[in-house]
Amino acid sequence: MKKYLNDPNFVPAKRSKKKVVGSIIYYLVGSILSLLFIMPLLYMFSASTKGEEAIAFSNGTIMMFLPDFKNILHFFDNYRIVFGQYDIWKYALNSMIYAAIVIVFNVIVNGLAGYVLAKFNFPGKGFFNFIILFLIVVPVETSIIPLYSIVKQMLGLKGGLSVLAVILPSIISIFNIFLFTQFFASIPKEYEEAMHIDGASRVRVFFDLILPMSKPIVATTAVFTFIGVWNDYIWPSMVLPNYGDDSWPLLPIQAALTSLQSIESITTGEIMASLVITSLPIFILYIAAQKYIVKGFGTAGLKM
Amino acid sequence: MKKLVLPALMAALLLTGCKAIGGGSADYSDNSKLKIRFHVDAKSAEGMAYKKLVDGFNKEYASQGMRVTASFVARSAGDSNYEKQLNTDKLEGTLPDIITFDAPNCAAYAEAEYLYDISSYLSAEEKAKFITLNSYQGKTYGIPIQESSAGFYYNKALFAQAGINVSGITVDNPWTYDQFKAACAKLKALSGITAVDMRMDATKDETATYLLYPFIYASGGSFVDETGKIATGYFNSNGSKRGFQFLKDLVDLQYTNYGIGATDFFTGKVGMYLSSGWTIPDLDNKYPTTFPNRDAWGLLPYPKDVIAASANGSWSYAVTDNLRKDKSAVVTLLKYLTNANGSKTVTDATGMIPANKEVNTQYGTNSPEDVLYQQLQKTGKQRPETVGYPQFSVAFRGVIDGLRDGNVSTLVDNKAAALQNELNKL
Amino acid sequence: MLLIALIVLGVLVLGLTAMIIIDMVKNHKKGQKYHLKEVMTAFLLILPAVVLSFFFVILPIFYSLGYAFTDFNLLKPNDINFVGFDNFKTLFLEFNQHGEFFLSIRNTAIFVVLVVPIQIIMALLLALFCNNKRRGTTIFKVCFFAPVAISLSVTAFLWLIILSPNPNGIMNSILHNFGIPAQDFLGNKNTVLIWMVIISAWQGCGYQMLIFLSALGNIRKDLYEAAAIDGANVFQKFFTITVPGLKPTMLYILITVFIGACRVLIQPMLLTGYQDRSVTISYYMYQQGFTYRHVGYSCAVALLMTIIIGTITLVQRKLLGEKKR
Repeated sequence: MKKYLNDPNFVPAKRSKKKVVGSIIYYLVGSILSLLFIMPLLYMFSASTKGEEAIAFSNGTIMMFLPDFKNILHFFDNYRIVFGQYDIWKYALNSMIYAAIVIVFNVIVNGLAGYVLAKFNFPGKGFFNFIILFLIVVPVETSIIPLYSIVKQMLGLKGGLSVLAVILPSIISIFNIFLFTQFFASIPKEYEEAMHIDGASRVRVFFDLILPMSKPIVATTAVFTFIGVWNDYIWPSMVLPNYGDDSWPLLPIQAALTSLQSIESITTGEIMASLVITSLPIFILYIAAQKYIVKGFGTAGLKM
Repeated sequence: MKKLVLPALMAALLLTGCKAIGGGSADYSDNSKLKIRFHVDAKSAEGMAYKKLVDGFNKEYASQGMRVTASFVARSAGDSNYEKQLNTDKLEGTLPDIITFDAPNCAAYAEAEYLYDISSYLSAEEKAKFITLNSYQGKTYGIPIQESSAGFYYNKALFAQAGINVSGITVDNPWTYDQFKAACAKLKALSGITAVDMRMDATKDETATYLLYPFIYASGGSFVDETGKIATGYFNSNGSKRGFQFLKDLVDLQYTNYGIGATDFFTGKVGMYLSSGWTIPDLDNKYPTTFPNRDAWGLLPYPKDVIAASANGSWSYAVTDNLRKDKSAVVTLLKYLTNANGSKTVTDATGMIPANKEVNTQYGTNSPEDVLYQQLQKTGKQRPETVGYPQFSVAFRGVIDGLRDGNVSTLVDNKAAALQNELNKL
Repeated sequence: MLLIALIVLGVLVLGLTAMIIIDMVKNHKKGQKYHLKEVMTAFLLILPAVVLSFFFVILPIFYSLGYAFTDFNLLKPNDINFVGFDNFKTLFLEFNQHGEFFLSIRNTAIFVVLVVPIQIIMALLLALFCNNKRRGTTIFKVCFFAPVAISLSVTAFLWLIILSPNPNGIMNSILHNFGIPAQDFLGNKNTVLIWMVIISAWQGCGYQMLIFLSALGNIRKDLYEAAAIDGANVFQKFFTITVPGLKPTMLYILITVFIGACRVLIQPMLLTGYQDRSVTISYYMYQQGFTYRHVGYSCAVALLMTIIIGTITLVQRKLLGEKKR
């Protein structure tokens, strides 16, 4: 008990009635709000445990958010089918590999760029800053048409090289450069200067000092890059070949899913099961990195 | 690690650069190597049927040294996806020898020189084998893979309860608009029942157009002129307005509405359900409570007004206008795919109607399949042949959506003007 | 294609060189010096990002802006002709006749004006709600963030069921308890945009909540303690300490939410399809480019949109941005 004596925030264990009521209200409001936000999750999960007919009968009633308990023995039938029949684990593994490669290079390439813009003194810096701001503002919806031609015609990323067509464009993220620049700029110069005395090169400073000090921003960009790569389906299904033979497929999971959803015989429950499976990694990663993400944005607004 | 990163990235970029210079294109002088592209997922039942066909061809023609490679690009992942690949293939001269395409795109693809005119390769006898062919301005550009038609699925229990007798209604003797409305009135009188799901809310994709355009033809209306570029005076002709007015009446009389749940028919809340042949397997397999067997549901043809008209059109095969000059081998493949065996292989997997009449179809009289098959042969009307088909479809769906609260005449006039505006941009 | 790429590259190199020279001259006047080694390292380290963004970001944008002056049809890549300002003339004509382009701008404007404040206020309220040391706030944070991570097609499908115009639909059943007659939420042109705003804000505010939380964490705790000693109440503390503390973040959030809102596309696409009452600029652009295959015309819309968004963003920065320290 002694350690509390010096703590100014120490509150005696005996709580006042008002505080208890406050807590109850707080958690009540929080729970209701949370329910409003996880509605789609509840629906996805409950539908994933049901057969087609059960989903049809529950649509529009409260049961659409609750699993079908009468069906408890067959709860995971849809998951079995999705894993067994449609091999979605292969596509999930593909997505994991794509995401891992993209995240590593994304952090290095954009991190280095951010590092240079934040910490180096060189002529032409204003030009880069201007371009970055311009690119953040420009809408990119139509640029997917020329991007396809650039990737396929100019760079010739066809056949097996198509994999690079998925990876390379996702590595560069103007927005991440912006976030990195802001964060690195907030790191005091003194740290770096201390390392310089040791005679370390700037590249070493980046990898040994700056990156380890910047876990929040690395976690933030990594998580959002992951979400981006994991959820992207239009671009990969445009650039990757799909020969339908027995070799290992190249498609990432979301592209495979949209393709699978077009199969006539697939049921809503199976689609929902596959969606639950594809949402899980995002939530796991997000929860794991949560602590850092909250800090990662702290510098985002400083110099917009 | 850190020392390797930059060189590795540079190497990757260099590699891609080299590839650009060496980028090989397909050799079209060799008639023993053919390429084909399908629009479905390779793992779907339909995709596997195509694969079976391709394997069969490779086996049968191995002695002649012919071999075809198939690729699959599921159309679902963004509409433009499939077209974007066609576009780049065209630009680079790497179009597969045979592609599949959705029937309404025939005009646009033919005009943009993606499709090869196969009229001269098909004898009159061969042409007569097919229920429909894809043609544009008198030339044949495609052979349907399979046929589709639509009609009104109905819940027999509800019909009995409402006292509606539909035994006399056949494709040869379809019901009239008034008979249709009378049946709706009786169904509506049942408590908690919506008379008919006209799919008025299926306007987010092609579904509403595909299911509802026959009503306009049935009322004597039309959509565009022969050139496909003039909509004013056709889309908003009196006949067209009459057709749209019929749909509006169904809404106003509360026989149908925009809030019918996608599964309401399957749970017994709706008397009739307008849909295509793809609903047959769902009714057979997925909803045992409401529809335990075929005694519980039936299929009725489209009602007729001035004339009888029904929906048709599905995906087709086309020979492409690529750099291959000698099309003989390609036509051999096309004929293999569309012969009785080819047609049956696909429809066995999809449950749709074979495009080739030679396939022995033993449908029971007035069975759902029989109704669709007869409709195709007797009352099938194609969607308008126009380069601006997507524009037409959007305008049509705009009218369907607007019927909920608009005056039909003004609404149709406005949409006709908007459509004409878009067609003028072509 | 390669030629245009080289021209774009040339222009960029020229721009960069000009800026370098200007910087050098300025620096020289100030009597400062660049260190050659530092400058070389800087250019070397930024090179990968520059190469990648040239091919995959800048070049596509320049191409698509260039297409704005052509009649590029998606199906006819071999037949692209320069048409000058024809696409823009058509656009202005359509705007004047109150055609779909006009409607798309009107709808987008209404949407943006409503969604930006609503989404930011929702995000701020959620952040304030989670910003305390109670147990379990992490679970709340994860829940509020959930819609950001879930595919929009699932959420749209769900909202369509909830907002069904059927009197037995979920929302209509709820309203019925309050004696409100059945509504066609998404079919009515007066309410469809409001529901799009609600759904978008609900879907996206979890993301801005994180940023606000981050900024709230940076506000010094002793300020609150000092204010408490001075007897300030919750509202006074909020307006004198929290609001000023959030100001830099606010500008960032305002700009990103604004840009995102201007580009709204998926919501109308999945909720109503292409209809006059809900078409947005992005949707119009998408429809023209991908559905109607008028890539050139669609790129003209993109160019106009870029100019509009860019101008407003610059104005926002000028009006609200901090003065350079």
